Amino acid sequence: MNHYRLIIKADDKQVVLERILQVARYRGFLIEGINAQVNTGTNIGTIELMVRSERPISFLVDQINKLIDIKDVKVDTNTSQ
Amino acid sequence: MASEKIHTGGSLLFNVLQQHGVEHVFGYPGGAIMPIYDALYDSDVKHFLCRHEQGAAFSAVGYARAAGKVGVCFATSGPGATNLITGLADALADSIPIVAITGQVPTSVMGSDAFQEIDIFGLSLACTKHSFQVTDINDLEKVLHQAFAIALEGRQGPVLVDIPKDIQIAHIVSQGNVVSTLKNKVNLPPANVGSAIAMLCHAKQPVLYVGGGVGMANAVDELRNFIDITNIPSVSTLKGLGAIAPEDENYLGMLGMHGTKAANLAVQKSDLLVVVGARFDDRVTGKLDDFAPNAKVIHFDIDQAEINKRRAADSAILGDLKTNLPALAIPLDIKGWQQECQKMKADFAWDYNHPGNTIFAPAVLKEVSDKMPINTCVTTDVGQHQMWAAQHMSFNDPSNFLTSGGMGTMGFGLPAAIGAQVSRPTDCVIAVSGDGSIMMNIQELATIKRFQLPVKIVLIDNAKLGMVRQWQDLFFQGRLSETDLSDNPDFVMLANAFDIKAKKIVAKEEVSAAIEEMLEHDGPYLLQVKIDAADNVWPLVPPNTANDKMMEST
Ligand SMILES: Cc1ncc(C[n+]2csc(CCOP(=O)(O)OP(=O)(O)O)c2C)c(N)n1
Ligand SMILES: [Mg+2]
Repeated sequence: MNHYRLIIKADDKQVVLERILQVARYRGFLIEGINAQVNTGTNIGTIELMVRSERPISFLVDQINKLIDIKDVKVDTNTSQ
Repeated sequence: MASEKIHTGGSLLFNVLQQHGVEHVFGYPGGAIMPIYDALYDSDVKHFLCRHEQGAAFSAVGYARAAGKVGVCFATSGPGATNLITGLADALADSIPIVAITGQVPTSVMGSDAFQEIDIFGLSLACTKHSFQVTDINDLEKVLHQAFAIALEGRQGPVLVDIPKDIQIAHIVSQGNVVSTLKNKVNLPPANVGSAIAMLCHAKQPVLYVGGGVGMANAVDELRNFIDITNIPSVSTLKGLGAIAPEDENYLGMLGMHGTKAANLAVQKSDLLVVVGARFDDRVTGKLDDFAPNAKVIHFDIDQAEINKRRAADSAILGDLKTNLPALAIPLDIKGWQQECQKMKADFAWDYNHPGNTIFAPAVLKEVSDKMPINTCVTTDVGQHQMWAAQHMSFNDPSNFLTSGGMGTMGFGLPAAIGAQVSRPTDCVIAVSGDGSIMMNIQELATIKRFQLPVKIVLIDNAKLGMVRQWQDLFFQGRLSETDLSDNPDFVMLANAFDIKAKKIVAKEEVSAAIEEMLEHDGPYLLQVKIDAADNVWPLVPPNTANDKMMEST
């Protein structure tokens, strides 16, 4: 089992969290933790997502990247193992 | 600039539809979408009333696929919206651009379990490319433009826009042509053409594996040009059929579970797969670990997420096929391999000899294919008849073969044919259906009647859920569980009830005349073709088996 931490930047839309959680579950990643904040100045949300899976993280990153409201997805290579 | 005019939400919708060139929509009214239907009353958009919202969704899909445009469907809230879901899922699986508009209960009562309220926005997350719920009239125009842009951008797909009733009634001044700003998120790395060209030059036994992406990218010409220059042996997926010219001597047919023996053997032997707009679906690969075991892979696709998803690519060429395919079109020195493939093609060619007087479905479909006018659009349902159509009919463009590939949805064929006929009124449209599938959207015969659509229906009738029956015979010790349909209605009477001319044939000598009568008939026609309930689709690669271990008979 691999543990990963993703930093996701997204437009501030109510539904965006739901979309990310749905994609993570469907693509086979168990969610271990989530933090989400919005910068009210820029209206950009930052979501920190901790997941685990047997699958390579690129599989999830590519799918989250396809969501229309996502601006950027980064894998935290320091904490991901 | 469109005129600055005061609109209701409903009339603004039609204003935007017209800006996107939408002439036809498929739908079904109800309480929460009444203001939109009221605005339709004054609009030039032509609405096709279907008899079930699933029919409307599939007609929008058929329209989009046959015409290469965005298909549009309407449904009311609650049950109307949920009835669209199968069509949306089908469009997502096959990357078809449709925009679905649903009515919703007024914003003031949303979330209160109001009459006919369902969270279609929540339901849409898993079955659309993207979805919107408009809760402010000021957002409506922009959202509608975005819906069209998203449906068409990159890998195409379905978009749903849920519009509460008060938003449909609210007044707004149109802002004119709102240019939707879609970010091009995929930072395309420079296409790795150099290494791909080197791999192609070194390959001794390359095979071109063509998928539905070619048609979606409108890259049939570029693909055929690539084939003309390379003379590479080629195979196609179900959704790719029509992209490769059927008469190409190096074309080996469909690969996968019901693919031709030549196509599957060539792929298994290949040392390089050039994959174009395809995604290594399990129905294509059979046992993934044993698929083309000696081949390197060059993968062309528009969707980054398909690269390395099921099979690692040695070279990935991400982006528009139209621009990327020509970069790899170089002459190849593979004479021996071509000859080997051509020999397999000849050795394993279809055999239409069939004993007895019972009708042989593959021969019927081949004869329909040979006799149908050029540019006929064929749709299918799902099952044995679908695989026989894919195997034995020929198509000169992917927009002439509409079948539910990714989702395998029974009930697709008839409404998809309606959408195709609406989009291409002067072309012949033929729905190849099964006696199980046709009953799933049989109500759409009423749509055919109402609009006098000259759709031809070839109903392959084995009085069975034939494909499931075949698997029960082969893999479940013949324990036939719930696959008998011998009490089906009288299909000729049924068609006649909708003013549709129909004929039933049971013997080989009736086939040719019946096909000619159907094709010559000026109007809709149903040809019921009785076949032996025990006929199987061959070859068959059993599930989770390597593609060279196909069964060819029992
Ligand atoms: C909506 C839906 N339900 C169930 C299935 C499973 N299924 C696949 S083929 C098939 C039998 C189809 O029967 P028919 O339309 O008569 O075609 P045949 O195989 O007999 O040619 C079934 C039930 C499906 N593909 N789609
Ligand atoms: Mg049947």
